[in-house]
Amino acid sequence: MSSGLETAAVGGYRPQRPFLDELFAPDGTPRPTANALVQELRRLGPAGLIEAGRRRDAIFMQQGITFETSGGSSGIDGSKERPFPLDLVPRVLSGEEWRAIKRGLAQRIRALNHFVDDVYHAREIVREGIVPWRLVASCTHFARAVHGIRPPGGVYTHVAGCDLVRHSDGSWKVIEDNVRIPSGISYVLENRAAMARLVPELFASYRVRPVEHYPQLLLGALRAVAPSAESEATVVVWTPGPANPAYFEHAFLARQMGVELVEASDLVVRDDVLYMRTTRGLERAHAVYRRLDDDFVDPLEFRPDSLLGVPGLVRAYRAGSVAIANAFGTGVADDKAIYCFVPDMIRFYLGEEPILENVRTYLLSEPEVLEHVLAHLDELVIKPTGESGGRGVMIGPHADEAEVERMREVISAHPERWIAQDVVRLSTVPTVGADGTLEPRHVDLRPFAVFGERIDIVPGGLTRVALREGSLIVNSSRGGGSKDTWVLEDGDDADRAGPPIADTQPPALPDLRYGEWTGQQQQQQQQRPGH
Amino acid sequence: MLARIAHELYWLGRNLARAEFTARAVEAVFQAELQGTSESRPGVSFGSGGLLAMFGDAHESPRASEALGQLTLDAGRPGSMLASIERAREGARTVRDVISAEMWEAINTTTLGLRGGGQPGWAAPAGPYLASQYVKERTALIWGVANRSMLRDEAKCFLDAGGLIEISDMVLRMLRIALPSGDSSPADGHALILLQAVGGFHAYLRAVTAPPNAQPVARFLLFERAYPDSVAACVDSLHEVFSSADAGPRNSKPVLRVSRLAADLDFQRRALPDGAELTGICQQTQQELARIDQDVAERYFAGAATAGARR
Repeated sequence: MSSGLETAAVGGYRPQRPFLDELFAPDGTPRPTANALVQELRRLGPAGLIEAGRRRDAIFMQQGITFETSGGSSGIDGSKERPFPLDLVPRVLSGEEWRAIKRGLAQRIRALNHFVDDVYHAREIVREGIVPWRLVASCTHFARAVHGIRPPGGVYTHVAGCDLVRHSDGSWKVIEDNVRIPSGISYVLENRAAMARLVPELFASYRVRPVEHYPQLLLGALRAVAPSAESEATVVVWTPGPANPAYFEHAFLARQMGVELVEASDLVVRDDVLYMRTTRGLERAHAVYRRLDDDFVDPLEFRPDSLLGVPGLVRAYRAGSVAIANAFGTGVADDKAIYCFVPDMIRFYLGEEPILENVRTYLLSEPEVLEHVLAHLDELVIKPTGESGGRGVMIGPHADEAEVERMREVISAHPERWIAQDVVRLSTVPTVGADGTLEPRHVDLRPFAVFGERIDIVPGGLTRVALREGSLIVNSSRGGGSKDTWVLEDGDDADRAGPPIADTQPPALPDLRYGEWTGQQQQQQQQRPGH
Repeated sequence: MLARIAHELYWLGRNLARAEFTARAVEAVFQAELQGTSESRPGVSFGSGGLLAMFGDAHESPRASEALGQLTLDAGRPGSMLASIERAREGARTVRDVISAEMWEAINTTTLGLRGGGQPGWAAPAGPYLASQYVKERTALIWGVANRSMLRDEAKCFLDAGGLIEISDMVLRMLRIALPSGDSSPADGHALILLQAVGGFHAYLRAVTAPPNAQPVARFLLFERAYPDSVAACVDSLHEVFSSADAGPRNSKPVLRVSRLAADLDFQRRALPDGAELTGICQQTQQELARIDQDVAERYFAGAATAGARR
């Protein structure tokens, strides 16, 4: 620390004890990796950040990177659309930190994939007495319809997003697995593009690993698992339709991969083969990246009242004529009750010790555990097992008496539908407030993994941030925002793409003529003395 | 490509062209009505009432300013520019993966600019004029971006086809309303407003030596192949786009029908004597275009037909 500029925090920013702040040490000085970033933020100042925020909202509105606050109406006036809340202070992860996370995630996803395969085939983990069968069978997303089906390559969880949090001791923990249809990757890419446009000065002293290759990774993985013998596989993205809150992402991925975005009405199954209706008649589709839940995909096998489904799709899937990502029935692996067993799965299937830990979780089906939890409701987080997106979650220390009482009744009635977890002290990252000053806000991290021939994980992921002071709920549907997540290059990573663009020397091209300018000049010069 | 997507693109093209030609017509009528009747005899009757009639709203006879207001920023009226642009945006949202990001942004920004009463200052008496100017400029930009950023594939063909069929339909509607009907029209006064309403004034002056009276103007808008927004030129281009989009154009109903219509228009142009009555041809052509529209839906959009009900 050579100058007073670096020692003082920006605008009197104070990390909040006892939480870990990722950019500032407890005494208020920037951490070494954040030094240059903090200086640039200081140079921008509150006014600069507010101005950049205004430009950000205008750009997002213009590009239609929005989400609908509630009600989901797509009416003529469209007033419910809000620009996606991106915070302008990035989150910085060192290359070393990231490598540990990446190894942990790959291990975990491999184990989850084994588990799905096992559940629908030999059920060895049940026979070994590690996971109780009644728990598996009672999962909301356990799908009897796909028993015995093994998709190409044995891959079920093609796209996975595990939610990570950072405890106050600095360790990373998995708080939730998402292996059904994790969403948010489009925001990772759009956030990076927006940050580069809005606050390029922040990137000045850093080499941030790129994220924009995700769609190609996904396309590669889908092609790799598609059952097509002769020609290049036709991949499609299947969306429930423009009314879906994540429609932006569906269209984004289809566009970025250069494949068709289909709805149920575009698809038809004939003789156990999936086709799409085109202007030239029916054309075959080999791989479907589906963005709707099992329940709705096929009215013949799942919910019969589904209007969003394609009759016969599961038959086609069973016949092996089409690959589905993620495979039907994977939801059984991201049930919150199954979550407790993931470390055991890693030991059982892979024979390894888990690299990333779970948050301590209580299964309420045991009477004595239930009793303990009911006595400590105000100190725990209570979650419904079959939900996602933060729905139905109660955070004990933040809930009032009435809420706790209501929860007590609900849990006592159906203990198997709930789990309890210790409250995690989520780490904080400085976040721009309404007045342009920085305040600590809690964050989590959702990295995205693609499982095709191997597991690839895009550096970083979606950092979600609770925008309200003290809040621990980061879901965007409940007032959360997001941050660009930087994984720094430290020249020590095997899967780095190549040397940075700025460092490469272009080849010399001595034969290159710039237009005909030289020729014209010569001509003019030759003409001149002739006069 | 997906039948549903082709259908959406076709209607995106139609809605964009509809908005643009509404804007042109509103602008022309706004200026004409501001100036009062001129000294020379008008050969056509085209004012705010006629404008509403073009959109099937002939029963009411509101004041001119109201009529123009209804056609610009009134989201509740299906014929208004805002409503057309909103429909275009909805369609563009559905095909966001097919059109370029730039094009989506251009359409989205246009919609945002028109919503909630439009830009500051549009409330003044000049409002409809300013809004029309805006829509004209923006649609020019949208088509420009489409032409430069979209692949010239089937998708572009269907987008163009929608635009072309809508332009010819708009021109025909206007002619049928504005042209003096049947025998009661010995008068052939000036018809500048028709040219202004489609933006073809300058082209007419360069292509035709006759004064801009009803007869030569109508012939120009119907038959002049060199003018891109004439009915004949649009039908020619339609033939081109369907031929290249169709897998088997030789026995495709829409292609054959368009090709016959193109030949028919060419025949009429040569066979009709000067001064012949044109409203009949306008009507027949429009009916034929409606049949083409149907054939297109049957041949290319089958399966997406349910979505057509909402138009």
